[in-house]
Amino acid sequence: MTPAGDNLDSQNLASESVFAANFCLPLIRTAQNSDGGWGFQPGLQSRVEPTCWAILALRAQESSASAGEIPARGLEFLRKTQLSNGSWPASAEASSGSWVTALACWVLAADAKARDAVAAGVRWICNDWPRDSATWRRWRARLFSHRKITEQNDSYRGWGWTPHTSSWVEPTSLALILLASTPAQVLPRGAARRRELARGMLYDRMCPGGGWNCGNPMVYGVAGEPLIVPTVWALLALRDKPDRPEFVLSLDWLEKNIGNARGAGSLALARIGMEVAGRKWPQGAPTIAEMYARNEFLQNIAVASWACLAACRRHQWLTGDVAEFS
Amino acid sequence: MRRPDIALVPSFQRAASRVVIRRTANYEQDLAAVIGEALAVFDLPVRGKTVLLKPNLVGFDPLCEMNTHPYVIAATQESFLRLGAAQVLIGDGPAMDRDTEAIIESVRLREFTGPLGRTFVDLNLDDVKRVVLGTHASRLNELYLPKTVLGVDFLVSMPKLKTHHWAGVTLSLKNMFGIVPGGCYGWPKNVLHWAGIDNSILDINAAARPDFAIVDGIVGMEGNGPIQGTPKPCGVLVLGDDPVAVDATCCRVMGLRPEKVKYLNAAGTLLGHLDPAKIQQLGETVASVRTRFAVLDEFKELREADGGVWN
Repeated sequence: MTPAGDNLDSQNLASESVFAANFCLPLIRTAQNSDGGWGFQPGLQSRVEPTCWAILALRAQESSASAGEIPARGLEFLRKTQLSNGSWPASAEASSGSWVTALACWVLAADAKARDAVAAGVRWICNDWPRDSATWRRWRARLFSHRKITEQNDSYRGWGWTPHTSSWVEPTSLALILLASTPAQVLPRGAARRRELARGMLYDRMCPGGGWNCGNPMVYGVAGEPLIVPTVWALLALRDKPDRPEFVLSLDWLEKNIGNARGAGSLALARIGMEVAGRKWPQGAPTIAEMYARNEFLQNIAVASWACLAACRRHQWLTGDVAEFS
Repeated sequence: MRRPDIALVPSFQRAASRVVIRRTANYEQDLAAVIGEALAVFDLPVRGKTVLLKPNLVGFDPLCEMNTHPYVIAATQESFLRLGAAQVLIGDGPAMDRDTEAIIESVRLREFTGPLGRTFVDLNLDDVKRVVLGTHASRLNELYLPKTVLGVDFLVSMPKLKTHHWAGVTLSLKNMFGIVPGGCYGWPKNVLHWAGIDNSILDINAAARPDFAIVDGIVGMEGNGPIQGTPKPCGVLVLGDDPVAVDATCCRVMGLRPEKVKYLNAAGTLLGHLDPAKIQQLGETVASVRTRFAVLDEFKELREADGGVWN
């Protein structure tokens, strides 16, 4: 990248920052519900996932102390919606936990009032094993399956979207990001082993040419197509080993495919992934603002939040270090 | 508001279903005219009502090989507006990729329908309502389903004509997997696989039975569908007021035996008609448009013998 290229990259980021401040933040601020949470779109019921993204975005973008009232009400919503077993449900009425538990713990980690809640959430996560890779199930599959549908090593175990199902790339990545930033004294015994198994699962599930999809790199002998969203989350989860060939290959795939991004969510996450990995943004790549003009992000609060996070120059939000946000 | 309690009717008590097959060579034809003419047969109660079109948007697909073609979606939208519908929404909840915008942009849906910011409903992210599953076909006792799906007056399932590597075929009933919200169950909606795909299809359709089905069979997909199969030109649109009858007819068009598709055979008892004697076939005959679709070896029992009997 030439110095001129550096300038272009800087200008591009600056324009994305202006867009985030002028369009995304107002959308997020005005979409907060009276219970303190956010729905996936303005006017929809509060849910844990969009609430977490909105809080992260507001923390990362807001600088004035008074602006902190909005995320504070969001944190209160999160504290109230935790289930008695330590997990968080994906929807208000649901009575069982889900992948959003990792997100809620991640967001609440910086909240002194929520230490016990976070510890309970982390315990729930570490005790939530996927069902597909249980030892007896692997033996049964080996004995009775007449044809191998997927080619993957089921001795690795990550996390599912919902309890007692299968391991998938995105929930595994989110759990790993959380556990990597969780203080050692909060981690339950066995957490290190779970991280090791989950990292192994991500490497194992990489698509043949790099990148990840939801977690099916090969089905019936045919290579799966990687997607930007899971690729970025996996890269962020594995970013402490940037020299691993899988990491480099997948980052290369991401860089090559940014120009093909068709959704603002993918584009925003791609920018985050590239910046965290220290790669320059490709010249001529589409901008988030251009994508907003097409469909207004389909009014998606998560996407607006990712656009705010993508416009940050630093990405401390990934480690839950809120002190650096303000 | 739709009435989920009327979905289950024993076959012998259900009136005959009507299915129209329209020969449609390609996507360059005036599809609004073709679909409009076919819809006119049914005298549908949509004037002043809200209609939801549920296409099959399964993945990033610039060549429109795996998704319902955007022109078919747009032409259907136009046709229902011409019939007097107050509002025609388009909604889906893609299963494998949470960037729904990327999928709809990859197929250029907006170019056919206009801006989608206010008319497209991402069913993965919609508000949900708990629905107790009275059918108990699967191990699921309840599902959280999108309020938009449960609240519209008229629901149209709009799949592409495809074989499926786990279910045999994916048509208007299997297409309803897309109403199960990723925002509750993830991407993919793995809980349905654990509960059994065939039985989950039955439970979902009993809870939210489509009022109408329009199958894009102009170019379908054979072999390792629903994503990695091979495009298969078939040159038909299949429409009808009974999703089971429409799917059964589609199977016969594909040279497959519907009664051998596990979920479809079960659906034929309570959700609609499988028996050709109970299906009033309009437009083209099955025999005149039959195009044999390849299936994986796991589903070879679905294939009709050469010279299948349906006409």
